[in-house]
Amino acid sequence: MIVDRRLLPHLDWPLLGAIVTLTLIGLATIYSVTWNIQLDQPGTEFWRQAYAVPVGLGALLVCLLVDYRTLAQKSPLIFAGLLLALLAVLSFGVVAKGARRWIDLGFGSLQPSEFARLALALVLAMLYGDGRRSARSLGELVFGGLVLALPVSLIFLQPDLGTAITLVPVYAGIAYMAGLRLRWVAGALLILALLSPVVWNFGLQDYQKGRVLTFLNPYKDRQGAGYQQIQARVTVGSGGLLGKGFRQGTQGAYRFLPEGHNDFVFAVFAEEHGFVGVVVALALYLFVIWRSLEAAKLAKDRVGAFLVVGLVSWFSFQVVYNITMQAGLAPVKGLTLPLMSYGGSSLVATLAGFGLILNVRMRRFTN
Amino acid sequence: MLTPGAYEDRRSLQLRLTGLRIGLLTVFVLIAGAFWVLQVLQYTEYRDRAEQNHTRTIPLLAPRGVLFDRHGDVLVQNRRSFRIAIVREQTADIDDTIRHLAGVTGTAESDIQAIMTRRRGDPLFRPIAVIDHATDAQVAAVIAQGLELPGVVVDQIPMRSYPGEGAHLFGYVGEVQQAQLYRPEFAGLQPGAIVGQAGLEQVYNAPLMGNDGNRFVIVDSRGREIDELERQDPVDGQRVKLTIDRDMQRALEDAFRADGFDGAAAFLDPRSGEVLALTSLPAYDPNDFAVGISSATWSALNKDPLRPLGNRLIQGLYSPGSTFKIVMAITALEEGIITPDTVIGCRGSGVFYGRSFKCWNTSGHGPMTLRHAIEQSCNVFFYTLGERLNARFGDRSIDAINKWAAKLGLVGKTGIDLPQENPSLVPSTEWKLRERGERWYPGETISVAIGQGAVSVSPMAMATMMATVANGGTLQTPHLLKAIDRGHGWEPQAPPAPRSVFQMDPSHLAAVRDGLWMAVNTPLGTATRRGKIDGKDVAGKTGTAQVISNDNKAAAQAAARSAGKDPAIYNDHGWFVFFAPRDNPEVAGVVFTEHSEHGYLSAPIAKHVMETYFAKKEGRPLPVYKSSRTPRTPVAPPRPAIGGTSGIGGTR
Repeated sequence: MIVDRRLLPHLDWPLLGAIVTLTLIGLATIYSVTWNIQLDQPGTEFWRQAYAVPVGLGALLVCLLVDYRTLAQKSPLIFAGLLLALLAVLSFGVVAKGARRWIDLGFGSLQPSEFARLALALVLAMLYGDGRRSARSLGELVFGGLVLALPVSLIFLQPDLGTAITLVPVYAGIAYMAGLRLRWVAGALLILALLSPVVWNFGLQDYQKGRVLTFLNPYKDRQGAGYQQIQARVTVGSGGLLGKGFRQGTQGAYRFLPEGHNDFVFAVFAEEHGFVGVVVALALYLFVIWRSLEAAKLAKDRVGAFLVVGLVSWFSFQVVYNITMQAGLAPVKGLTLPLMSYGGSSLVATLAGFGLILNVRMRRFTN
Repeated sequence: MLTPGAYEDRRSLQLRLTGLRIGLLTVFVLIAGAFWVLQVLQYTEYRDRAEQNHTRTIPLLAPRGVLFDRHGDVLVQNRRSFRIAIVREQTADIDDTIRHLAGVTGTAESDIQAIMTRRRGDPLFRPIAVIDHATDAQVAAVIAQGLELPGVVVDQIPMRSYPGEGAHLFGYVGEVQQAQLYRPEFAGLQPGAIVGQAGLEQVYNAPLMGNDGNRFVIVDSRGREIDELERQDPVDGQRVKLTIDRDMQRALEDAFRADGFDGAAAFLDPRSGEVLALTSLPAYDPNDFAVGISSATWSALNKDPLRPLGNRLIQGLYSPGSTFKIVMAITALEEGIITPDTVIGCRGSGVFYGRSFKCWNTSGHGPMTLRHAIEQSCNVFFYTLGERLNARFGDRSIDAINKWAAKLGLVGKTGIDLPQENPSLVPSTEWKLRERGERWYPGETISVAIGQGAVSVSPMAMATMMATVANGGTLQTPHLLKAIDRGHGWEPQAPPAPRSVFQMDPSHLAAVRDGLWMAVNTPLGTATRRGKIDGKDVAGKTGTAQVISNDNKAAAQAAARSAGKDPAIYNDHGWFVFFAPRDNPEVAGVVFTEHSEHGYLSAPIAKHVMETYFAKKEGRPLPVYKSSRTPRTPVAPPRPAIGGTSGIGGTR
C-alpha cells in the first residue's frame, strides 16, 4: 500500500480536474434546483450530496493507491463479494419506491448495484486481458457473458432494470477491445431486430411498452408519462443561448420538471446556463472520456487497458443516454447523469471508478 | 515479455480505441446539435411555454362604490363574501372534482356542471366561480377536504349589500352577459365580471364599478403560489351620493307594507327636481342577485303575475282619473276659457253631444267656482270646461290640453336617471290620426276632461306634474344623482336642465293651489283628514284608475267570488298627488296604490312620508306609521298590472 512518490507526476491532473469540476457543477445545480423559498436555504439533497463528495474523493484515492494489478488479481474475490452483497440486498434490503436496492448501514444506506460495474470491469479485464484469452472465440465470449449475467440478473430481480442494463456496456466495451469480431456484432444486431416483435409481445411489461410508445409521441399522454419528456424539452429550450442564470430557473425549481436534482439535473443546468453552458459541460464530459481512453492507450498491459475501456464504456453510455433524454430524444428511464446527478452511492462508485482509471495511467511505467 | 503477437495485438488495440473515440466524438457533436435546435432555434416557443407554466394573473375584484343618501347615510355597501371556484388546469378528473364538491357543499351537481359548461371557453387557468356566496360550513368543508378536491379554491370577494327597501331604486348587479360584452360600455371586461343590470346600479355602473386589479404571481407545478411578481391594486368604485333621504325611503315602504298595498310612489323637491324617495312594489330582493341568483328564484320572479321585476313607477302606464282635472284647470285658466271666479252649475249630470255624463255626486254640487270644483272633484264642472274648449278650439281642443299636459310633464318620458322608462301619453289630433287613423271627436274631449279616454301616464310623470304646479311652472327633470366622490371629496353633480319653463299667472296658480289645499283640508274635500298635516298646508288631489268599466265591475266581481278568487282584483287603483306646504312647497309627489278602490286610501302613505320629511327637517322624532286598514294579501290581477288600464266612468 505504499505509494511511490515518483508516481505522482504521472497522475493525470487535468482529468482529475475535469472530474472534480463536473462534480461541483452538479452540486451547484442541485443547490439551485432544491432551493427552498420558504426556508431560504438549499434542500437536504444538496447537503447529502455535499457530504458524498469527500467520501467519493476518498474512494477515488483508495482505488488510486492500490495497484490495479493487485486488485485485478483479487478480482474473483471482489466479484464474489459483490454477488454476496447483491444477494443480501435481495434478502434484507430496504424497500423504497417498490424496489429493494439499498442496504441500511446504520449511518447511511448503500446501493451495492452502483459498485457492480467496478467489480465486473475488474473481473472481465482480468478474464480477457491476463489469461491471454480473447473474445475471438464464441466460447470465450459466452463465458464472459455468463459472468455478466450473474450481477445483471441479481440487480434485475430488485427490480432495477436501468442499473442492470448499465452493466452491459462494461462487458461490450471489454469484449470489443478483446477482439470481438465485428461481423458477430452485426449478426447479433440483425437477430435482435428480427426478435424485436417477439420481445415486444412477450418480453416487455405493459409499463415498459407504454414508455416506448410515449417516447414516440409524448403528446399522446401529456399529463402522464409524456409529461416529463415534454417538460424536459421546455426546460432545456427555455434556457436559450445564455440561460436564465444561476437560481433563476423556473421549470426545475417550481417542479414543473420532476427529478430536477436527479435524472433531469442536466436539463436544469441547461435552463440556467443555456446553450453555452451545455457546450461547456459536453466538452468537459468529452474531455473526461477522451483522457480516460488515453489512459487505455498508454496502459502498460491489456488488463489495464481493458479495465479502463470497460469503465469508460459504462460512463459514456450513461452520460450519452442521460443527456439525450434531457433533449427529449430518448425514452425517459431512471438513469442518472454520472458525476452531476444526485445520489451518494452513484457518486462514490463513479469517483472510485475514475480512481481505477487514473491508477492505470499513473502506473504505466512501473513493473 | 513481449511475445511475437504482442506488437500486432497492440496495434489492433490502438485501432479499436481510435474507433471508439471517433464514435463518441460523433455522438457528442450530434447531441450538441440537438441542444442547438432546442435552445437556439426553438427558443422562443419553449420560453413562452415555460412562462405560461409558472406565471398566473389573478384578478383582484374592486369593491363597487358605496351609495349614500343626501345626508351622507349609507344606503348600499359591500361586505366580504367567500366564493368557491374551480381551476380546471389543476384538477385531475374534473367530473370527479365536481361530484365531490357537490357532495361536501350540498350543492346540486347539475348546477355546478351547468356553470362549467357555460364557461367552458375560458382559459384553463382562470378560476370559475361555482358557489358565489359560500356559507361558513361550505368553506370549512372544502378546506377540510382540500386534498380530495384538487383545483378547488376558496377566495374572498367583495359583495353588494342592499337595505330592505329601494329595490327598484338601486336595481341589482349580476354577471355580465355574453351578449353585453360587445357593448361599448362594457369594453375590456372579462366574462364573469359583475356589472349593474338594473336601476341605479345599471345607470351609474361606470363610476360605481371601479377597476379590478391584478396580481401577477409565480406558481409551482401544483398551482401553489410561490411569489408575487407584481401587483396592481384594485381601484374602488366611486362613492355616489343620491338625492334620496334614507328615512323618507324607509317611511314610504313601511307605510305601503303596513297597508298591504302594491303600487308606486315618488317624492320630489319641486324646487330642484331632486327625488327624495321612490318605490315600486312588489319588488325583489337585490341581495338575491348579489349572491348569484338561483334559477328557481329567477324563474319565480319572472313568472310572478304581479311582475315584481317591473318598475311600476316609470314603466306602468295608468289612467290618471280625477287627478287629470288639475291639467284641465290650468288649460282652461291659461287659455282664458274661464277665470278663477267663473261659476258653473252642477245638477248631478250633464248632457254633452247627445250623451249623458254623470257626476259622482248624482244629487249635484250646485253652482261652483274652480276652487270648489277641485275641492269636491266635480265632474260636471270639468265636462263643461271640455265643452267650452271645443267651442273655442273646435276639433283641436285636445291639442290645447296636450300642450298644457306637456308643460306639466305628462307627455313623454320624465327623464329620470333610471333605465327603461315608458313614455306617458296624452292624446292629440296628430296622435289619433297616426295611431287610429281617425279624426278627434269633440265628445272624446269630454271624457279626457276627467282623465278618462286614451290618457295613460306613469306615476313618475304625475309626480313631475305636481312638482311643476308646486313651483309655478318649471318642469324639472327628476333626478337621483347629487354628488360623486372620485377620491378627492364630494363633487356636486350639475342637475339636469328643466324640460320646460312657463310662468303661470299668479291668480291662476293661487286658485289651483287653493282648490288642492281645500281638497285635503276642508270637510267637503275628497281627501279630507286623510292627508292633512296640521300647520303644513298639504295640497292634493285624489283619483282612481279603473281596472274594469263601472258597468261590468259588479258582474266581474261576482264571477271572481264564485270562482273562489278575490274580487278585489277588479278594484280601482287609487291616486293621490300632492305638495306641501301650499305656499313655497318643499315636497311634491305621487302615491299610487293598486286595487285600493279609493284615491283617498293613498293619502295616509303620502302624509306619513311628508311628516317624516318635516319631522327630520325640524329635528323632531320621526313618526311611526299606524295603518288604518287590515292588511290583505295582494292578489294577482286578471291581466298584467303594468301596461295600462282603461275604462270610462265616473271617478273622483
